[in-house]
Amino acid sequence: MPVVTMTVNGQRVSAEVEGRTLLVQFLREHLRLTGTHVGCDTSQCGCCTVHVNGQGMKSCTLLALACEGATITTIEGLAVDGKLHPMQEAFHEHHGLQCGYCTPGMIMSALDMVRRKGNDLDESTVREQLSGNLCRCTGYHNIVKAIQAGAAAMKRS
Amino acid sequence: MHDAAKSTHIGQPVRRKEDQRLVTGKGKYSDDYCVPGQAHAVFLRSPHAHAMIKSIDVKAALEVPGVIMVLTGADRLADGLKPLPHNPMSTHKAETPLENSDGTPPFTAPHYPLAHDRARYVGEAVAIVIAESVAAAKDGADAVEIDYEVLPAVTATLAAAAPDAPKVWDNAKSNVGLDAVVGDRAATDAAFKRAKHVVKFETWAQRVTGVTMEPRAAVGAYDRESGRYTVYAGSGGAVKLKQDIAAVLDVPADKVRVLMDDVGGNFGTRGEVYPEFAVLAWAARRAGRPVKWTSERQESFLSDYQGRDLAVSAELALDADGNFLAMRGSNVSNAGAHTVSYAPLKKGLGIMSSIYRMPAVFFRARVTLSNTMMTRPYRSAGRPEVMYVMERLIDIAAFECGFDRVELRRRNLLTEAELPYTNPFHMTYDNGDYHGAMDAALKLGDWAGFAQRRDEAKKRGRLRGIGLANYVDTSTGAPRERTDITVRADGTVEVVIGIVSQGQGHETAYAQLAGDWLGVPVESVQLITGDTDIVKVGGGAHGGRGMRMASLVIWNATREIIKKGTRIAARMLECDPSMLKFVGGRFEQDGSEKSVGLFEVTKAAQTLADLPEDLRGPLAATCDQVHHEASFPYGTHVCEVEVDPETGSVQIVNYAAVDDVGRAINPLLIHGQVHGGIAQGAGQALYEQCFYDAASGQLLSGSLMDYALPRADTLPFFKTEISEVPSNTHPLGIRPAGESGTTPALGVVINAVVDALSEFGVKHVEMPATPERIWRAIHGMAPPASPNNR
Repeated sequence: MPVVTMTVNGQRVSAEVEGRTLLVQFLREHLRLTGTHVGCDTSQCGCCTVHVNGQGMKSCTLLALACEGATITTIEGLAVDGKLHPMQEAFHEHHGLQCGYCTPGMIMSALDMVRRKGNDLDESTVREQLSGNLCRCTGYHNIVKAIQAGAAAMKRS
Repeated sequence: MHDAAKSTHIGQPVRRKEDQRLVTGKGKYSDDYCVPGQAHAVFLRSPHAHAMIKSIDVKAALEVPGVIMVLTGADRLADGLKPLPHNPMSTHKAETPLENSDGTPPFTAPHYPLAHDRARYVGEAVAIVIAESVAAAKDGADAVEIDYEVLPAVTATLAAAAPDAPKVWDNAKSNVGLDAVVGDRAATDAAFKRAKHVVKFETWAQRVTGVTMEPRAAVGAYDRESGRYTVYAGSGGAVKLKQDIAAVLDVPADKVRVLMDDVGGNFGTRGEVYPEFAVLAWAARRAGRPVKWTSERQESFLSDYQGRDLAVSAELALDADGNFLAMRGSNVSNAGAHTVSYAPLKKGLGIMSSIYRMPAVFFRARVTLSNTMMTRPYRSAGRPEVMYVMERLIDIAAFECGFDRVELRRRNLLTEAELPYTNPFHMTYDNGDYHGAMDAALKLGDWAGFAQRRDEAKKRGRLRGIGLANYVDTSTGAPRERTDITVRADGTVEVVIGIVSQGQGHETAYAQLAGDWLGVPVESVQLITGDTDIVKVGGGAHGGRGMRMASLVIWNATREIIKKGTRIAARMLECDPSMLKFVGGRFEQDGSEKSVGLFEVTKAAQTLADLPEDLRGPLAATCDQVHHEASFPYGTHVCEVEVDPETGSVQIVNYAAVDDVGRAINPLLIHGQVHGGIAQGAGQALYEQCFYDAASGQLLSGSLMDYALPRADTLPFFKTEISEVPSNTHPLGIRPAGESGTTPALGVVINAVVDALSEFGVKHVEMPATPERIWRAIHGMAPPASPNNR
């Protein structure tokens, strides 16, 4: 079996994988980083969003072998020494999650949104940019508020 | 009790305790369980809507590398597994009773966890392939040869109920499993005869599904030495799931342990035992190792319990002034292939007339079986459907007879003085300020300023419409709940309760209750819900029962703890118990500085040598209570939409909701529940449908590319307001909040869409109000050629 090597949340990891292994399977099953979720088979829901070389990507549609040498950040890599990232803090403060299953993907997408669109995000930008992430609990109301607040807080911190 | 229960945490928007783990990826959902030695399974499902299973050849599959075992319905039969113990008829005392008109019992048929002779819907599981990996199991499944003989099938609701429809069950007289009537036919017909106006409405509240973001997943395990099964499976509740799995396995309930931690959504979808959960437990015994299965999304669409699917034909009679005189009609609910639940029909019918004065009704109510996945309660069992019908009838009456929509509602809306009110379906509403909620919602939604916004939209080439809908919801879930509360010497309070959270935030809300009533910080309360070796009794989260039942048992148990604690504290302080009062977590002696804290008392309870038997051990109490009285959430929603006449596309641009919860424990969570509920209702109104092709019986909406969900860019910010008129049928005044968002949302969104199209004389648009349907309505064309789904 081929070997894949990548840096995940700052740690260099290497493993033998079947060629058909998806990045999300590698993260969840090989590394036991179960914060990245799978909500669909068709790249619609965004629960599996992680950062690959700094860009938001859906890890259910990437082969692990395609990420050879890549730097990956997952939801587990955001909080530093137990202190929540401002975007995580904003989701908590604004009740931007209920069941929490879509939340890791939402937060990773939100950070990618800030990277691309800046810290000053208006409602329609957030809503439009979030169309690749589905939530069934919140009606998106508090998620949008959380992302706006989190983006602003990142500017201050 | 209301005053005594006043406190510091209750009523506050306390931020959730569960968030810390969930925002850092440390939640534990069902697929996150990894049991040592586990094998992986996939289910083979029928590709036909109705077929005889003539033979299953597993030989080639067993030769696929990594495949361990294939189990079929014939193996299940040989091993003597029992049917899933569904009880399709809800029996809550507060509900409208429904019985077959001919006196026979409702039709039921055994639902076996793997079909052995016949598959009755696309997606019915017929075999399980167990392998070293999911990929190997899939390869094995591809190699299984099944010889089916395809039979005639029927999926559409009214077609299935027809006498000449292909029968789902050969031993039934027809597909109609329940055929009841409710009301007073003579009084209703007389009222219709003298009515000045009669309006008619025929509709289909289409089939939708829960789409919990976390797909179902489970691990079954079996310990040969103890003969015990363990099933790790996120669900609506742990205790009933344990009992149901034990019933299928035909073992005593204590031979099954069910475990769950975080559960990614429910909405009713997870409220009933699933065939797969029992099969995994059995497969683990047969394979001699744990067996894990995780549903893929396409599999969820096929095999998760679905919701709604009610065909209604209704008429409303009014006098010249617009007073409602009577209502009559027929409801047909599509239960799917197995007799899992008739509750949506029953629970909806009971409040068909909503919170309006309705002197007489007569309805025929039927459940039909069909070759589709089964339905069960979905975010307000049967209620959003009937509220939609009532609110559409009122708007149609206003449109056809020249009444003002608001005044027509106000004229017929029950006043506080008329409550409690027994409606003509025999359900008795508690108290409430229905007019107050409606006035507040009209204000919040700026009904008065609408004309100006409509004119402004017109200039931009948009058709703007506004609608309103009143509603009532019921809360007749499982009436028994239990809590075991223990004050621990380490400064924590443990609350064991049989209501599992699927996102509602119980860890926080219940901690607010116990924290307040025991005078301890919210952080020190620990909730235990998802392990049946600890939790012995409990009804799970459904039917608006979570806060309603939890508050009662937590209140009573904490009172008992304080009572016991007072006696111990009196010994410690060497005074009479009557001299002590419990304030802010301390037992204080009247007229002195002396006091002891709750945690000191629990330590003493474990160490003092001279305590009577009933005070020994940690300070703890149990409350196991039955509460049959329902409290009825109510309120009003106002919705505004804009339609693009060129394309027929519609956007919700304004949404205001006023919902009465009796008493708000955590407004942050309540607003969140309402937001999510509105989105699910708006989703049904505009986007969603489980689309079964009538000719083939195939589910065409089998992925998130085909089944349209609301997305962030299809919804606005909502204006939500909480009303608090304490319910007089609940000791703490509480009405449920979880279903309020959805219940009026179907009707209010469609009312707004139809209003936007009023200049074209459009009387109604069916759900989902797709651009095609709206565009056709604007152009005076017939609705899209129907594949006869209704």
